[in-house]
Amino acid sequence: MNFFERIQALDRRWIYIVVALAIVIPLMIPYNSDNVTTPPTENLYQMIDSFAGREDRAILLSFYHDASTMPELFPMEIAILRHCFERNVKVFTLTWLPSGAPVIDFAINSVKEEYPNIVSGVDYCNFGYIPGTLAMPTVIGMGDNIAATVKTDAEGRKIESLPIMKGINNYSEMNLAVEFSGSVAGSYWIVYARPKFGLNVAVGVTAVMAADQYPYLQSGQFIGMLAGLKGAAEYEKLVDVFGAYREPDSPITVQTDEDGNKIVPGRPFSRELLQDESTKELINITTQNIATFSPADYEAFTAKYPEKKAVFDAIKTMDNGKVKIDVTQVSKAQQDEMGPLAWKDLNRMTRNILYKFKVARIGMNAQSVAHIMIIVFIILGNIGYFISKSRQAKK
Amino acid sequence: MSFELFSNLVGAFFTLCIFSFLYKDNPFYQMAEQLLVGISLGYGLVLTYTRVFVPFLYQPMILKQQWILIIPSIMGIFYILRFNRKLSWLSRYPIAFSMMGVGASVPLSMHTFILVQMRQAMVPLESVNLALIFIGTIAVLLYFFFSKAHTGVYGKFVDVGKWYMMIGFGASFGLTVMARISLLIGRIQFLVNDVFGALK
Repeated sequence: MNFFERIQALDRRWIYIVVALAIVIPLMIPYNSDNVTTPPTENLYQMIDSFAGREDRAILLSFYHDASTMPELFPMEIAILRHCFERNVKVFTLTWLPSGAPVIDFAINSVKEEYPNIVSGVDYCNFGYIPGTLAMPTVIGMGDNIAATVKTDAEGRKIESLPIMKGINNYSEMNLAVEFSGSVAGSYWIVYARPKFGLNVAVGVTAVMAADQYPYLQSGQFIGMLAGLKGAAEYEKLVDVFGAYREPDSPITVQTDEDGNKIVPGRPFSRELLQDESTKELINITTQNIATFSPADYEAFTAKYPEKKAVFDAIKTMDNGKVKIDVTQVSKAQQDEMGPLAWKDLNRMTRNILYKFKVARIGMNAQSVAHIMIIVFIILGNIGYFISKSRQAKK
Repeated sequence: MSFELFSNLVGAFFTLCIFSFLYKDNPFYQMAEQLLVGISLGYGLVLTYTRVFVPFLYQPMILKQQWILIIPSIMGIFYILRFNRKLSWLSRYPIAFSMMGVGASVPLSMHTFILVQMRQAMVPLESVNLALIFIGTIAVLLYFFFSKAHTGVYGKFVDVGKWYMMIGFGASFGLTVMARISLLIGRIQFLVNDVFGALK
Protein backbone atom coordinates (compact mmCIF):
# COMPACT_ATOMS: atom_id res chain seq x y z
CA MET A 1 0.00 0.00 0.00
CA ASN A 2 1.64 3.27 -1.13
CA PHE A 3 1.35 6.71 0.46
CA PHE A 4 -1.66 7.87 -1.55
CA GLU A 5 -3.58 4.65 -0.96
CA ARG A 6 -2.92 4.99 2.75
CA ILE A 7 -4.18 8.58 2.67
CA GLN A 8 -7.36 7.49 0.92
CA ALA A 9 -7.92 4.70 3.45
CA LEU A 10 -7.17 6.99 6.41
CA ASP A 11 -9.69 6.90 9.26
CA ARG A 12 -11.64 10.18 9.22
CA ARG A 13 -10.96 10.69 12.93
CA TRP A 14 -7.32 11.38 12.19
CA ILE A 15 -8.45 14.16 9.87
CA TYR A 16 -10.64 15.60 12.64
CA ILE A 17 -7.63 15.69 14.96
CA VAL A 18 -5.53 17.48 12.33
CA VAL A 19 -8.34 20.01 11.70
CA ALA A 20 -8.71 20.61 15.44
CA LEU A 21 -4.95 21.17 15.84
CA ALA A 22 -4.87 23.47 12.81
CA ILE A 23 -7.44 25.65 14.56
CA VAL A 24 -6.43 25.38 18.21
CA ILE A 25 -2.73 26.15 17.73
CA PRO A 26 -3.19 29.51 15.91
CA LEU A 27 -5.82 30.46 18.49
CA MET A 28 -3.56 29.62 21.42
CA ILE A 29 -0.54 31.34 19.84
CA PRO A 30 -1.86 34.45 18.06
CA TYR A 31 0.45 36.04 15.49
CA ASN A 32 0.25 39.36 13.72
CA SER A 33 -1.18 39.07 10.24
CA ASP A 34 -2.77 41.50 7.83
CA ASN A 35 -6.26 41.32 6.36
CA VAL A 36 -6.47 43.08 3.03
CA THR A 37 -9.69 45.06 3.02
CA THR A 38 -12.08 44.73 0.08
CA PRO A 39 -14.32 47.39 -1.54
CA PRO A 40 -17.64 46.02 -0.16
CA THR A 41 -16.31 46.40 3.40
CA GLU A 42 -14.64 49.75 2.70
CA ASN A 43 -17.82 51.13 1.12
CA LEU A 44 -19.90 50.21 4.16
CA TYR A 45 -17.29 51.67 6.50
CA GLN A 46 -17.17 54.94 4.56
CA MET A 47 -20.95 55.20 4.44
CA ILE A 48 -21.26 54.80 8.22
CA ASP A 49 -18.30 57.10 8.79
CA SER A 50 -19.92 59.84 6.69
CA PHE A 51 -22.59 60.09 9.45
CA ALA A 52 -19.98 60.78 12.17
CA GLY A 53 -21.05 63.46 14.62
CA ARG A 54 -24.21 64.37 12.70
CA GLU A 55 -27.47 64.97 14.56
CA ASP A 56 -29.51 64.41 11.40
CA ARG A 57 -28.11 61.04 10.41
CA ALA A 58 -28.44 57.57 11.92
CA ILE A 59 -28.03 53.95 10.99
CA LEU A 60 -30.28 50.98 11.69
CA LEU A 61 -28.83 47.57 12.55
CA SER A 62 -31.15 44.62 12.04
CA PHE A 63 -30.05 41.52 13.96
CA TYR A 64 -31.87 38.90 11.90
CA HIS A 65 -30.22 35.85 13.46
CA ASP A 66 -29.94 33.85 16.64
CA ALA A 67 -27.04 32.29 18.53
CA SER A 68 -26.34 29.63 15.88
CA THR A 69 -24.62 32.07 13.51
CA MET A 70 -22.99 34.24 16.17
CA PRO A 71 -19.38 33.12 15.52
CA GLU A 72 -19.50 34.88 12.14
CA LEU A 73 -22.02 37.66 12.64
CA PHE A 74 -21.36 38.78 16.21
CA PRO A 75 -17.82 40.14 15.52
CA MET A 76 -19.30 42.23 12.66
CA GLU A 77 -21.93 43.68 14.97
CA ILE A 78 -19.36 44.44 17.63
CA ALA A 79 -17.08 46.12 15.08
CA ILE A 80 -19.86 48.31 13.64
CA LEU A 81 -21.19 49.28 17.08
CA ARG A 82 -17.66 50.16 18.16
CA HIS A 83 -17.22 52.29 15.04
CA CYS A 84 -20.48 54.13 15.80
CA PHE A 85 -19.61 54.70 19.47
CA GLU A 86 -16.10 55.89 18.58
CA ARG A 87 -17.26 58.26 15.84
CA ASN A 88 -20.50 59.40 17.46
CA VAL A 89 -22.90 57.89 14.92
CA LYS A 90 -26.49 57.42 16.11
CA VAL A 91 -27.53 53.76 16.07
CA PHE A 92 -30.92 52.06 16.10
CA THR A 93 -31.25 48.31 16.50
CA LEU A 94 -34.06 45.82 15.97
CA THR A 95 -34.63 42.13 15.34
CA TRP A 96 -37.36 40.16 13.61
CA LEU A 97 -36.62 37.04 15.69
CA PRO A 98 -37.48 36.52 19.38
CA SER A 99 -34.10 34.83 19.88
CA GLY A 100 -32.35 37.81 18.27
CA ALA A 101 -33.28 40.13 21.14
CA PRO A 102 -30.73 38.73 23.63
CA VAL A 103 -28.07 38.97 20.90
CA ILE A 104 -28.70 42.73 20.57
CA ASP A 105 -28.43 43.21 24.33
CA PHE A 106 -25.25 41.15 24.46
CA ALA A 107 -23.66 43.08 21.57
CA ILE A 108 -24.54 46.53 22.91
CA ASN A 109 -23.48 45.71 26.48
CA SER A 110 -20.19 44.17 25.30
CA VAL A 111 -19.20 47.34 23.43
CA LYS A 112 -20.70 49.78 25.93
CA GLU A 113 -18.42 48.50 28.70
CA GLU A 114 -15.59 50.40 27.02
CA TYR A 115 -17.63 53.57 26.39
CA PRO A 116 -19.07 54.79 29.68
CA ASN A 117 -20.20 58.07 28.05
CA ILE A 118 -22.53 56.29 25.64
CA VAL A 119 -26.14 56.54 26.80
CA SER A 120 -29.23 54.55 25.77
CA GLY A 121 -31.83 56.80 24.18
CA VAL A 122 -29.22 59.45 23.40
CA ASP A 123 -26.49 57.74 21.39
CA TYR A 124 -28.33 54.55 20.54
CA CYS A 125 -31.82 53.14 20.75
CA ASN A 126 -32.85 49.50 20.77
CA PHE A 127 -36.30 48.89 19.24
CA GLY A 128 -35.98 45.27 20.40
CA TYR A 129 -37.99 42.45 18.98
CA ILE A 130 -40.55 43.23 16.31
CA PRO A 131 -42.42 40.12 15.07
CA GLY A 132 -41.35 39.02 11.60
CA THR A 133 -44.98 39.07 10.49
CA LEU A 134 -44.93 42.83 11.06
CA ALA A 135 -41.74 43.32 9.05
CA MET A 136 -43.43 44.63 5.91
CA PRO A 137 -45.61 47.31 7.58
CA THR A 138 -42.72 48.27 9.87
CA VAL A 139 -40.20 48.67 7.05
CA ILE A 140 -42.66 50.68 4.94
CA GLY A 141 -43.99 52.66 7.91
CA MET A 142 -40.55 53.82 9.05
CA GLY A 143 -40.16 55.40 5.61
CA ASP A 144 -42.88 57.88 6.62
CA ASN A 145 -42.34 58.23 10.34
CA ILE A 146 -40.18 56.11 12.60
CA ALA A 147 -41.72 57.21 15.92
CA ALA A 148 -45.25 56.59 14.64
CA THR A 149 -44.36 53.09 13.44
CA VAL A 150 -42.21 51.81 16.30
CA LYS A 151 -43.90 53.48 19.24
CA THR A 152 -41.74 52.19 22.10
CA ASP A 153 -38.21 50.90 22.47
CA ALA A 154 -37.16 47.63 24.13
CA GLU A 155 -37.18 49.38 27.52
CA GLY A 156 -40.77 50.52 27.01
CA ARG A 157 -39.94 54.23 26.53
CA LYS A 158 -41.83 56.30 23.99
CA ILE A 159 -39.59 56.67 20.94
CA GLU A 160 -40.77 60.18 20.08
CA SER A 161 -39.65 61.55 23.46
CA LEU A 162 -36.09 60.16 23.28
CA PRO A 163 -33.24 62.65 22.70
CA ILE A 164 -31.83 60.44 19.91
CA MET A 165 -34.90 61.27 17.80
CA LYS A 166 -33.89 64.92 17.57
CA GLY A 167 -33.42 65.46 13.84
CA ILE A 168 -34.45 61.89 12.97
CA ASN A 169 -37.85 61.35 11.35
CA ASN A 170 -37.66 58.70 8.63
CA TYR A 171 -35.32 57.16 6.08
CA SER A 172 -34.23 60.60 4.88
CA GLU A 173 -32.25 60.78 8.11
CA MET A 174 -31.90 57.13 9.14
CA ASN A 175 -30.41 56.60 5.75
CA LEU A 176 -28.68 53.25 6.12
CA ALA A 177 -29.97 49.83 7.18
CA VAL A 178 -27.49 47.03 7.81
CA GLU A 179 -28.97 43.59 8.24
CA PHE A 180 -27.02 40.70 9.76
CA SER A 181 -28.36 37.33 8.81
CA GLY A 182 -27.47 33.74 8.09
CA SER A 183 -30.23 33.41 5.50
CA VAL A 184 -31.97 36.02 3.34
CA ALA A 185 -30.19 39.14 4.54
CA GLY A 186 -31.51 42.50 3.45
CA SER A 187 -34.47 41.24 1.44
CA TYR A 188 -37.13 43.20 3.37
CA TRP A 189 -35.11 46.36 2.97
CA ILE A 190 -34.32 46.11 -0.73
CA VAL A 191 -37.85 45.01 -1.58
CA TYR A 192 -39.91 47.44 0.51
CA ALA A 193 -37.66 50.35 1.51
CA ARG A 194 -35.05 50.87 -1.18
CA PRO A 195 -37.33 51.24 -4.25
CA LYS A 196 -39.85 53.49 -2.48
CA PHE A 197 -37.69 55.57 -0.14
CA GLY A 198 -34.16 55.23 -1.56
CA LEU A 199 -32.85 53.73 1.67
CA ASN A 200 -29.24 52.58 1.50
CA VAL A 201 -28.97 48.91 2.40
CA ALA A 202 -25.96 46.84 3.40
CA VAL A 203 -25.67 43.34 4.79
CA GLY A 204 -23.49 41.23 7.03
CA VAL A 205 -23.87 37.60 6.05
CA THR A 206 -22.41 34.23 6.87
CA ALA A 207 -19.88 33.03 4.32
CA VAL A 208 -22.32 30.33 3.12
CA MET A 209 -24.77 33.02 2.02
CA ALA A 210 -22.21 35.42 0.56
CA ALA A 211 -22.21 33.85 -2.93
CA ASP A 212 -25.99 34.37 -3.14
CA GLN A 213 -25.72 38.02 -2.10
CA TYR A 214 -22.95 39.18 -4.46
CA PRO A 215 -25.34 39.78 -7.42
CA TYR A 216 -27.18 42.43 -5.36
CA LEU A 217 -23.90 44.06 -4.51
CA GLN A 218 -22.93 44.11 -8.18
CA SER A 219 -26.27 45.67 -9.13
CA GLY A 220 -25.85 48.37 -6.49
CA GLN A 221 -28.86 47.33 -4.40
CA PHE A 222 -26.47 46.73 -1.51
CA ILE A 223 -24.02 49.53 -0.90
CA GLY A 224 -21.71 47.20 1.03
CA MET A 225 -21.39 43.73 2.41
CA LEU A 226 -19.47 41.95 5.14
CA ALA A 227 -18.96 38.33 4.14
CA GLY A 228 -18.36 35.91 7.00
CA LEU A 229 -15.49 36.10 9.43
CA LYS A 230 -13.29 37.70 6.74
CA GLY A 231 -15.68 40.65 6.42
CA ALA A 232 -15.75 41.05 10.20
CA ALA A 233 -11.93 40.97 10.36
CA GLU A 234 -11.69 43.64 7.65
CA TYR A 235 -14.13 45.90 9.47
CA GLU A 236 -12.27 45.44 12.79
CA LYS A 237 -9.09 46.53 11.04
CA LEU A 238 -10.69 49.65 9.53
CA VAL A 239 -12.02 50.70 12.93
CA ASP A 240 -8.55 50.32 14.47
CA VAL A 241 -6.82 52.23 11.69
CA PHE A 242 -9.32 55.09 11.41
CA GLY A 243 -12.24 55.26 13.86
CA ALA A 244 -10.41 54.31 17.06
CA TYR A 245 -7.12 55.99 16.12
CA ARG A 246 -5.99 58.83 18.36
CA GLU A 247 -3.09 61.23 17.86
CA PRO A 248 -1.08 61.74 21.08
CA ASP A 249 -2.41 65.30 21.37
CA SER A 250 -6.04 64.58 20.55
CA PRO A 251 -8.77 63.92 23.15
CA ILE A 252 -10.20 60.41 23.33
CA THR A 253 -13.86 61.40 23.52
CA VAL A 254 -16.17 63.73 21.57
CA GLN A 255 -15.58 67.43 22.31
CA THR A 256 -17.56 70.52 21.29
CA ASP A 257 -16.18 73.83 20.07
CA GLU A 258 -17.33 77.34 21.16
CA ASP A 259 -20.25 77.20 18.70
CA GLY A 260 -21.44 73.86 20.09
CA ASN A 261 -20.27 71.87 17.04
CA LYS A 262 -19.02 68.38 17.72
CA ILE A 263 -15.34 67.56 17.23
CA VAL A 264 -15.38 63.85 16.55
CA PRO A 265 -12.22 61.93 17.44
CA GLY A 266 -10.61 59.43 15.08
CA ARG A 267 -9.76 60.13 11.46
CA PRO A 268 -11.58 59.68 8.13
CA PHE A 269 -10.99 56.78 5.76
CA SER A 270 -8.03 57.07 3.41
CA ARG A 271 -6.83 54.37 1.04
CA GLU A 272 -3.28 55.80 0.98
CA LEU A 273 -3.13 55.60 4.76
CA LEU A 274 -4.40 52.05 4.68
CA GLN A 275 -1.49 51.01 2.48
CA ASP A 276 1.01 52.97 4.57
CA GLU A 277 3.60 51.00 6.55
CA SER A 278 2.74 52.92 9.74
CA THR A 279 -0.70 51.29 9.93
CA LYS A 280 0.95 47.94 10.75
CA GLU A 281 1.62 49.24 14.27
CA LEU A 282 -2.11 49.86 14.73
CA ILE A 283 -3.37 46.41 13.81
CA ASN A 284 -1.15 44.12 15.89
CA ILE A 285 -3.35 41.45 17.42
CA THR A 286 -0.70 40.30 19.88
CA THR A 287 -0.74 42.03 23.27
CA GLN A 288 0.97 45.45 23.18
CA ASN A 289 2.18 46.93 26.48
CA ILE A 290 4.52 49.76 25.49
CA ALA A 291 3.41 53.25 24.49
CA THR A 292 6.06 54.77 22.23
CA PHE A 293 6.31 58.51 21.57
CA SER A 294 8.68 60.86 19.80
CA PRO A 295 9.79 63.58 22.28
CA ALA A 296 7.46 66.09 20.61
CA ASP A 297 4.53 63.66 20.74
CA TYR A 298 5.25 62.95 24.41
CA GLU A 299 5.14 66.66 25.19
CA ALA A 300 1.88 67.00 23.26
CA PHE A 301 0.41 63.99 25.08
CA THR A 302 1.35 65.15 28.57
CA ALA A 303 0.18 68.70 27.78
CA LYS A 304 -3.37 67.32 27.89
CA TYR A 305 -2.83 66.38 31.55
CA PRO A 306 -0.48 69.10 32.90
CA GLU A 307 -1.09 68.21 36.56
CA LYS A 308 -0.18 64.55 35.89
CA LYS A 309 3.08 65.29 34.06
CA ALA A 310 5.20 64.30 37.05
CA VAL A 311 3.61 60.83 37.11
CA PHE A 312 4.28 60.31 33.40
CA ASP A 313 7.87 61.55 33.79
CA ALA A 314 8.42 59.08 36.63
CA ILE A 315 7.38 56.06 34.55
CA LYS A 316 8.89 56.96 31.17
CA THR A 317 12.11 55.53 29.78
CA MET A 318 14.24 56.68 26.85
CA ASP A 319 15.23 54.23 24.11
CA ASN A 320 16.87 55.23 20.79
CA GLY A 321 15.59 58.77 21.10
CA LYS A 322 12.02 57.59 21.72
CA VAL A 323 10.03 57.97 24.91
CA LYS A 324 8.60 54.66 26.07
CA ILE A 325 6.15 53.80 28.83
CA ASP A 326 5.50 50.16 29.72
CA VAL A 327 1.96 50.06 31.12
CA THR A 328 2.62 46.74 32.88
CA GLN A 329 5.21 48.52 35.04
CA VAL A 330 2.75 51.18 36.23
CA SER A 331 1.77 50.53 39.85
CA LYS A 332 -1.80 50.74 41.13
CA ALA A 333 -0.91 53.87 43.11
CA GLN A 334 0.47 55.52 39.96
CA GLN A 335 -2.67 54.56 38.05
CA ASP A 336 -4.82 56.15 40.76
CA GLU A 337 -2.66 59.25 40.70
CA MET A 338 -3.01 59.42 36.93
CA GLY A 339 -6.81 59.18 37.03
CA PRO A 340 -9.02 56.93 34.86
CA LEU A 341 -9.08 59.18 31.79
CA ALA A 342 -5.30 59.66 31.54
CA TRP A 343 -4.77 55.94 32.27
CA LYS A 344 -7.19 55.00 29.51
CA ASP A 345 -5.53 57.47 27.14
CA LEU A 346 -2.08 56.05 27.94
CA ASN A 347 -3.34 52.53 27.26
CA ARG A 348 -4.70 53.72 23.92
CA MET A 349 -1.22 54.91 23.01
CA THR A 350 0.14 51.35 23.37
CA ARG A 351 -2.11 50.54 20.37
CA ASN A 352 -3.20 47.41 22.21
CA ILE A 353 -6.51 46.02 20.97
CA LEU A 354 -8.96 44.47 23.43
CA TYR A 355 -9.72 40.81 22.77
CA LYS A 356 -13.38 41.41 21.91
CA PHE A 357 -12.34 43.89 19.21
CA LYS A 358 -9.97 41.46 17.47
CA VAL A 359 -11.90 38.17 17.76
CA ALA A 360 -12.45 37.92 14.01
CA ARG A 361 -8.80 38.60 13.18
CA ILE A 362 -7.59 35.95 15.62
CA GLY A 363 -10.17 33.63 14.07
CA MET A 364 -8.88 34.47 10.59
CA ASN A 365 -5.41 33.26 11.60
CA ALA A 366 -6.89 29.86 12.38
CA GLN A 367 -9.02 30.11 9.25
CA SER A 368 -5.92 30.63 7.07
CA VAL A 369 -4.13 27.60 8.55
CA ALA A 370 -7.25 25.44 8.19
CA HIS A 371 -7.73 26.52 4.56
CA ILE A 372 -4.14 25.68 3.64
CA MET A 373 -4.58 22.29 5.29
CA ILE A 374 -7.84 21.61 3.43
CA ILE A 375 -6.24 22.61 0.10
CA VAL A 376 -3.38 20.15 0.81
CA PHE A 377 -5.94 17.42 1.63
CA ILE A 378 -7.85 18.11 -1.60
CA ILE A 379 -4.67 18.04 -3.72
CA LEU A 380 -3.42 14.83 -2.07
CA GLY A 381 -6.83 13.21 -2.42
CA ASN A 382 -7.01 14.09 -6.12
CA ILE A 383 -3.48 12.90 -6.86
CA GLY A 384 -4.19 9.65 -5.03
CA TYR A 385 -7.46 9.20 -6.90
CA PHE A 386 -5.88 9.68 -10.34
CA ILE A 387 -2.89 7.45 -9.52
CA SER A 388 -5.14 4.60 -8.35
CA LYS A 389 -7.36 5.12 -11.39
CA SER A 390 -4.41 4.91 -13.80
CA ARG A 391 -3.15 1.75 -12.03
CA GLN A 392 -6.52 0.12 -12.37
CA ALA A 393 -6.56 1.05 -16.06
CA LYS A 394 -3.11 -0.58 -16.55
CA LYS A 395 -4.28 -3.77 -14.87
CA MET B 1 -18.16 30.02 41.60
CA SER B 2 -19.76 32.91 39.72
CA PHE B 3 -22.89 32.39 37.66
CA GLU B 4 -21.00 33.34 34.49
CA LEU B 5 -18.33 30.70 35.09
CA PHE B 6 -20.98 28.10 35.94
CA SER B 7 -22.96 28.84 32.76
CA ASN B 8 -19.76 28.73 30.70
CA LEU B 9 -18.84 25.37 32.22
CA VAL B 10 -22.29 24.01 31.35
CA GLY B 11 -21.83 25.33 27.79
CA ALA B 12 -18.36 23.76 27.59
CA PHE B 13 -19.65 20.40 28.83
CA PHE B 14 -22.38 20.23 26.20
CA THR B 15 -20.03 21.47 23.47
CA LEU B 16 -17.71 18.57 24.27
CA CYS B 17 -20.69 16.19 24.37
CA ILE B 18 -21.63 17.22 20.82
CA PHE B 19 -18.01 17.03 19.62
CA SER B 20 -17.77 13.48 21.02
CA PHE B 21 -19.90 12.36 18.05
CA LEU B 22 -16.80 12.87 15.88
CA TYR B 23 -15.34 9.79 17.58
CA LYS B 24 -18.54 7.76 17.49
CA ASP B 25 -22.17 7.90 18.54
CA ASN B 26 -22.48 7.76 22.34
CA PRO B 27 -24.95 8.44 25.19
CA PHE B 28 -23.43 11.87 25.97
CA TYR B 29 -24.06 13.02 22.40
CA GLN B 30 -27.60 11.61 22.48
CA MET B 31 -28.33 13.39 25.76
CA ALA B 32 -26.96 16.73 24.48
CA GLU B 33 -28.89 16.43 21.20
CA GLN B 34 -32.18 15.70 22.92
CA LEU B 35 -31.66 18.40 25.51
CA LEU B 36 -30.98 20.89 22.70
CA VAL B 37 -34.29 20.07 21.03
CA GLY B 38 -36.23 20.31 24.29
CA ILE B 39 -34.55 23.48 25.52
CA SER B 40 -34.91 25.20 22.12
CA LEU B 41 -38.64 24.49 22.15
CA GLY B 42 -39.04 25.64 25.75
CA TYR B 43 -36.94 28.77 25.18
CA GLY B 44 -38.92 29.60 22.04
CA LEU B 45 -42.22 29.17 23.86
CA VAL B 46 -41.24 31.43 26.75
CA LEU B 47 -39.78 34.08 24.44
CA THR B 48 -42.87 34.00 22.24
CA TYR B 49 -45.08 34.41 25.30
CA THR B 50 -43.09 37.30 26.83
CA ARG B 51 -42.13 39.11 23.64
CA VAL B 52 -45.14 38.45 21.40
CA PHE B 53 -48.23 37.38 23.35
CA VAL B 54 -47.87 39.84 26.24
CA PRO B 55 -46.90 43.06 24.36
CA PHE B 56 -48.91 42.46 21.19
CA LEU B 57 -52.10 40.83 22.53
CA TYR B 58 -52.48 40.75 26.32
CA GLN B 59 -51.39 44.33 27.10
CA PRO B 60 -53.28 46.13 24.32
CA MET B 61 -56.42 43.98 24.57
CA ILE B 62 -56.80 43.38 28.30
CA LEU B 63 -55.07 46.45 29.77
CA LYS B 64 -55.88 49.01 27.05
CA GLN B 65 -59.24 47.50 26.02
CA GLN B 66 -58.43 47.40 22.30
CA TRP B 67 -61.12 44.76 21.68
CA ILE B 68 -60.62 44.82 17.93
CA LEU B 69 -57.64 42.53 18.56
CA ILE B 70 -60.12 39.71 19.27
CA ILE B 71 -60.42 39.22 15.49
CA PRO B 72 -56.72 38.50 14.80
CA SER B 73 -56.50 36.43 18.00
CA ILE B 74 -59.41 34.24 16.83
CA MET B 75 -57.69 33.95 13.45
CA GLY B 76 -54.58 32.81 15.29
CA ILE B 77 -56.54 30.21 17.26
CA PHE B 78 -57.82 28.84 13.93
CA TYR B 79 -54.25 27.79 13.14
CA ILE B 80 -54.22 25.51 16.19
CA LEU B 81 -57.45 23.84 15.03
CA ARG B 82 -55.39 22.16 12.33
CA PHE B 83 -54.86 19.36 14.85
CA ASN B 84 -58.61 18.73 15.13
CA ARG B 85 -59.95 16.54 12.31
CA LYS B 86 -63.45 18.08 12.32
CA LEU B 87 -62.36 21.73 12.57
CA SER B 88 -59.10 21.67 10.66
CA TRP B 89 -60.79 23.36 7.69
CA LEU B 90 -60.86 26.59 9.73
CA SER B 91 -57.06 26.78 9.61
CA ARG B 92 -57.33 27.65 5.91
CA TYR B 93 -58.73 31.09 6.74
CA PRO B 94 -55.64 32.51 8.49
CA ILE B 95 -53.49 30.96 5.74
CA ALA B 96 -55.66 32.63 3.09
CA PHE B 97 -55.46 35.91 5.01
CA SER B 98 -51.66 35.73 5.15
CA MET B 99 -51.62 35.38 1.35
CA MET B 100 -52.39 39.09 1.29
CA GLY B 101 -48.76 39.68 2.21
CA VAL B 102 -47.63 37.45 -0.64
CA GLY B 103 -49.77 39.46 -3.06
CA ALA B 104 -48.31 42.72 -1.81
CA SER B 105 -44.76 41.50 -2.17
CA VAL B 106 -45.03 40.07 -5.72
CA PRO B 107 -44.71 43.33 -7.70
CA LEU B 108 -41.98 44.73 -5.45
CA SER B 109 -40.08 41.43 -5.47
CA MET B 110 -40.35 41.32 -9.25
CA HIS B 111 -38.84 44.80 -9.35
CA THR B 112 -36.01 44.04 -6.91
CA PHE B 113 -35.02 40.52 -7.81
CA ILE B 114 -35.63 40.52 -11.56
CA LEU B 115 -35.97 43.97 -13.15
CA VAL B 116 -33.15 45.75 -11.31
CA GLN B 117 -30.87 42.72 -11.69
CA MET B 118 -31.67 42.55 -15.43
CA ARG B 119 -31.03 46.26 -15.83
CA GLN B 120 -27.55 45.81 -14.38
CA ALA B 121 -26.84 43.12 -16.97
CA MET B 122 -27.73 45.57 -19.76
CA VAL B 123 -25.19 48.29 -19.05
CA PRO B 124 -22.58 49.29 -21.70
CA LEU B 125 -19.67 46.83 -21.72
CA GLU B 126 -17.05 49.33 -20.64
CA SER B 127 -14.86 46.99 -18.62
CA VAL B 128 -13.70 43.38 -18.72
CA ASN B 129 -15.79 42.59 -15.64
CA LEU B 130 -18.99 43.83 -17.28
CA ALA B 131 -18.20 41.86 -20.45
CA LEU B 132 -17.64 38.72 -18.36
CA ILE B 133 -20.94 39.26 -16.53
CA PHE B 134 -22.74 39.77 -19.85
CA ILE B 135 -21.29 36.60 -21.44
CA GLY B 136 -21.94 34.61 -18.26
CA THR B 137 -25.57 35.72 -18.01
CA ILE B 138 -26.34 34.82 -21.64
CA ALA B 139 -24.40 31.53 -21.59
CA VAL B 140 -25.98 30.30 -18.33
CA LEU B 141 -29.49 31.26 -19.46
CA LEU B 142 -28.98 29.40 -22.74
CA TYR B 143 -27.67 26.35 -20.85
CA PHE B 144 -31.14 25.98 -19.34
CA PHE B 145 -32.85 26.41 -22.73
CA PHE B 146 -33.59 22.78 -23.55
CA SER B 147 -35.64 23.21 -26.74
CA LYS B 148 -32.45 23.17 -28.81
CA ALA B 149 -29.85 20.39 -28.67
CA HIS B 150 -26.50 21.43 -27.14
CA THR B 151 -24.46 20.62 -30.26
CA GLY B 152 -22.07 22.42 -32.63
CA VAL B 153 -21.11 26.05 -32.05
CA TYR B 154 -24.22 26.56 -29.94
CA GLY B 155 -23.22 23.59 -27.78
CA LYS B 156 -19.73 25.02 -27.29
CA PHE B 157 -21.19 28.38 -26.22
CA VAL B 158 -23.57 26.84 -23.68
CA ASP B 159 -20.59 24.85 -22.35
CA VAL B 160 -19.18 28.22 -21.35
CA GLY B 161 -22.30 28.63 -19.22
CA LYS B 162 -21.54 25.28 -17.60
CA TRP B 163 -18.03 26.49 -16.73
CA TYR B 164 -19.45 29.67 -15.23
CA MET B 165 -21.69 27.57 -13.03
CA MET B 166 -18.78 25.31 -12.05
CA ILE B 167 -16.81 28.36 -10.95
CA GLY B 168 -19.87 29.53 -9.02
CA PHE B 169 -20.19 26.15 -7.29
CA GLY B 170 -16.48 26.24 -6.46
CA ALA B 171 -16.87 29.69 -4.91
CA SER B 172 -19.89 28.48 -2.95
CA PHE B 173 -17.97 25.43 -1.73
CA GLY B 174 -15.01 27.57 -0.64
CA LEU B 175 -17.31 29.94 1.22
CA THR B 176 -19.16 27.01 2.81
CA VAL B 177 -15.87 25.57 4.08
CA MET B 178 -15.03 29.01 5.45
CA ALA B 179 -18.39 29.25 7.22
CA ARG B 180 -18.15 25.79 8.79
CA ILE B 181 -14.59 26.41 9.94
CA SER B 182 -15.75 29.75 11.40
CA LEU B 183 -18.36 27.94 13.48
CA LEU B 184 -15.70 25.57 14.80
CA ILE B 185 -13.41 28.53 15.50
CA GLY B 186 -16.23 30.21 17.42
CA ARG B 187 -16.73 27.15 19.61
CA ILE B 188 -13.01 26.70 20.23
CA GLN B 189 -12.63 30.40 21.06
CA PHE B 190 -15.46 29.94 23.55
CA LEU B 191 -13.77 26.90 25.09
CA VAL B 192 -10.28 28.39 25.14
CA ASN B 193 -11.08 32.00 25.99
CA ASP B 194 -14.35 32.14 27.91
CA VAL B 195 -13.97 28.86 29.77
CA PHE B 196 -10.29 28.39 30.32
CA GLY B 197 -9.31 32.04 30.03
CA ALA B 198 -6.17 31.03 28.23
CA LEU B 199 -6.40 33.72 25.54
CA LYS B 200 -5.64 37.35 26.32
